[in-house]
Amino acid sequence: MTAATSVTKPSRGRRPTAARDGANGHPFLRYALRRVITSLLLIVGVTLVTFVLTNLVPGDPVAAALGQRAAEDPAIVARFRTEYGLDQPLWLQYFTYLGNLLHGNLGVSTTTHNPVTSDLAAALPATLEIAVSAIILSVAIGVVLGTVAAYRRGKVTDHVLRVVSLAGLSVPTFWLALVLYYVFYFQLHIAPGSGRLSSDFNTPPTVTGLYTIDALFAGQLDTFLDAAAHLFLPVLVLTLYTVGLLTRFVRTAVLEILDQDFVRAARAKGLPTRTVVWSYVLRGASVPVLTVVGLAFGSLLSGTVLVEAVFSWPGIGSYAYNAASHLDLPGVMGVGLLIGVMYLLVNLAVDLLYGVIDPRVRLAS
Amino acid sequence: MALRPAKTRIAAGAVAVALTLLVAGCSSGKTADGASKTLTIDKTFDLKTADPSRMYEPTGEMVDKALYETLLTFKGGDVSKVVPGVAKLDESTDAKTFTLTLTGTHTFSDGSTMSADDVVFSLNRVIGLKGNPSFLLDGVTVAKKDDKTVVLTTKVPTPALPAILANPALGILNSKVVKAHGGSTTTSDSAEKYLNSQSAGSGPYILSSLNLSSKVVLTSNPKYDGTKPAYDRVVIQNVEGATQKINVQGGNADVALDLSGTQAKGLSGSVNVSSTPSANMIFLLLNQNPAISKITSNPDFVKAVKQAIDYKDLVSIAGAGTSQASGVIPSVLLGALPESGAITQDTAAAKAALAKSGYAGESITLSFPSDLTLNGLEFPTLAQRIQSQLKAAGINVDLAPAPVATELDAYRNGTEKIGLWYWGPDYPDPSDYLVFTPGNVVGLRSGWAAGANPAISSLADKAAAGGSVAERKTQFQDLQKALNESGPFIPLLQPGNNIASASKVTGVVYNAVWTIDIAALGRK
Repeated sequence: MTAATSVTKPSRGRRPTAARDGANGHPFLRYALRRVITSLLLIVGVTLVTFVLTNLVPGDPVAAALGQRAAEDPAIVARFRTEYGLDQPLWLQYFTYLGNLLHGNLGVSTTTHNPVTSDLAAALPATLEIAVSAIILSVAIGVVLGTVAAYRRGKVTDHVLRVVSLAGLSVPTFWLALVLYYVFYFQLHIAPGSGRLSSDFNTPPTVTGLYTIDALFAGQLDTFLDAAAHLFLPVLVLTLYTVGLLTRFVRTAVLEILDQDFVRAARAKGLPTRTVVWSYVLRGASVPVLTVVGLAFGSLLSGTVLVEAVFSWPGIGSYAYNAASHLDLPGVMGVGLLIGVMYLLVNLAVDLLYGVIDPRVRLAS
Repeated sequence: MALRPAKTRIAAGAVAVALTLLVAGCSSGKTADGASKTLTIDKTFDLKTADPSRMYEPTGEMVDKALYETLLTFKGGDVSKVVPGVAKLDESTDAKTFTLTLTGTHTFSDGSTMSADDVVFSLNRVIGLKGNPSFLLDGVTVAKKDDKTVVLTTKVPTPALPAILANPALGILNSKVVKAHGGSTTTSDSAEKYLNSQSAGSGPYILSSLNLSSKVVLTSNPKYDGTKPAYDRVVIQNVEGATQKINVQGGNADVALDLSGTQAKGLSGSVNVSSTPSANMIFLLLNQNPAISKITSNPDFVKAVKQAIDYKDLVSIAGAGTSQASGVIPSVLLGALPESGAITQDTAAAKAALAKSGYAGESITLSFPSDLTLNGLEFPTLAQRIQSQLKAAGINVDLAPAPVATELDAYRNGTEKIGLWYWGPDYPDPSDYLVFTPGNVVGLRSGWAAGANPAISSLADKAAAGGSVAERKTQFQDLQKALNESGPFIPLLQPGNNIASASKVTGVVYNAVWTIDIAALGRK
């Protein structure tokens, strides 16, 4: 039976697969190609939804962009409409936007008068610098706290961690940011002031846009330390919120796994707790946790506007707010597109990681 | 196993050597002068450009004031009197011809000397770009008379032109440098990118770097002809009001420009606070177009609202530095009404006027920009207080908040029944407030068509014609008395402008055009 199977399987499964490989590539590549095509369609959908929603907002971008007197002058208004293509029918504006998008051109911001790509390229690293730091810290802390809470279910530790995580989730980030800034900067003098660098430092030469990394590239250790110190408070605020979220999810996921037979079996075999936790429990809980981590990271990339406001952090959130409040259509479209793409990329990365973590997913695909 | 400690030691040694090499090979990212001569200013940015011919925002006014010199200027915070800048003025009696002669030598940051050609180019560029500040020179013709003299002519009397010429948007550019980087006097001009990276002026500072959303860095101009500024380097950073307060207390900022009246309270010790009424004027408009509202277009109803409002209460909620607006022209300008000329609350008279109007308790919509905060005063807070005051007087108001970008349309189209807005001076001359008369910009926004009130229009015409300073003062005061009596506008507040500065900083004076003159700030 075994021999028969070993003979027939290659002829029924592997050889045709190999034949398909020659024509259409590896199954994983086909899967990735499908995902990429779907993502491209989704991006077009994002542009359409953003465009429609932005234009549905009552209000005239001319009124928002021009001063009171300038907006009364027909010649100035006409020049503005022509310059930004607002004199064209909406459908033509949309297709012009799509055409420009194919060339990597997101238009020119009516607020900053800069190409939107330049604005976003300047704002994204600022947000990435705090978001990446926050998600790494949050995962490290949240997984530990969530696991401890699950293991101590119903005990004092669990109750304390529940209160802590709920506090992290429910305290308004704007308020928390202001309080922490007041305490750590003004009262305790252990954190620097707002912004990405102290005012007596020059911005390091731009390579990545991440000040810490760029300072190291430039060999400016003092700038690196100053930039790293400025990350402390914004990252702390974002981490406190995200840790609250992750602790709750990890606890739930671990509790589900703890009730599984294979965990009971591992314990019954007398395996050390550390081995049971790392090799059985956390591995089993990692798929749902990874989903939440992906969502939390997407949220950090797009939803840090209040924290950015308090710490004078010129990131994507601040840019989005300014663009929206000035009805800066190219700016709003650019941010919408960027956030859409980031979510898609994060989701794609999470999907691919499912395959790495869970053999069932890998084998199924 | 025996080798492990040795390996560890070798690894540790290698790391130590690498770190030592790294530190030894590092340069410093600090500025050459260090912090001692760096001035840090916190401002909530509304910055769009540093190109003076395109700039017309408060942050830009402050930045360009430091980078560019103007033909005429103001001294300190007094915007009621124009003084020579790089030129002296000779004005014709009919206020139609303005001869400006360059005085002394003025050197641009590249070492070249300013000439009449630079003046003509700079002013014509403002006109030709059709940007936000172009209206300042509407109807003005610019001509060179000789290398030192420029003549500006207008077809109608323009007594406000001298005050307009003090605006940093009309700063004088180095025409050769700007032309070399795409500058022209038409809409084909492409020099903005250059002027956002480097300045081309003769002011006390040059632009070192500009990030529209976060930071502007200025360094002192070694070629500047005037008194060298006290600070070699100035960092203007984009910071929200609440953070500004903590920054100036903690020393992260030397000057904070956007504190609300509430935030300014309690600041003392190493921080000085200057609280003065700003040049902004917050007002209510009641639409006079019966097609929009039969109620608000009733003169007795307008009178009832005027007398029902508790102005002192509104001043108290706005906080430090705020005063009641006596008329539409703010107190810092020529022609402002004295406090005694302000509308006062009279509840009995309000009830009588309300009864006479035939008002039967209908709800009337009060529209306002929900996301607008002016000098730290939030419009929703103000609208709610007005609603409750009017309710006490028997007038029912429904609040209709909307984002400013949305509500502007209704305001400009004249479709609001009652509107809560503000007017900041486009230039510090009372003629800017003729917009509040029938048939003019804000008059039309309140449904007040030309001819709706011939008496007020006649007063406005007299004021527009100009005259001596004393005559103009009387003309504009007469106009405002009439507006307070029978106009559809209710001047409410001049919100306080609160500037907090470290005690080591001297010379902090609020100016209605450029907020503060950075070059005038000193050190103890």
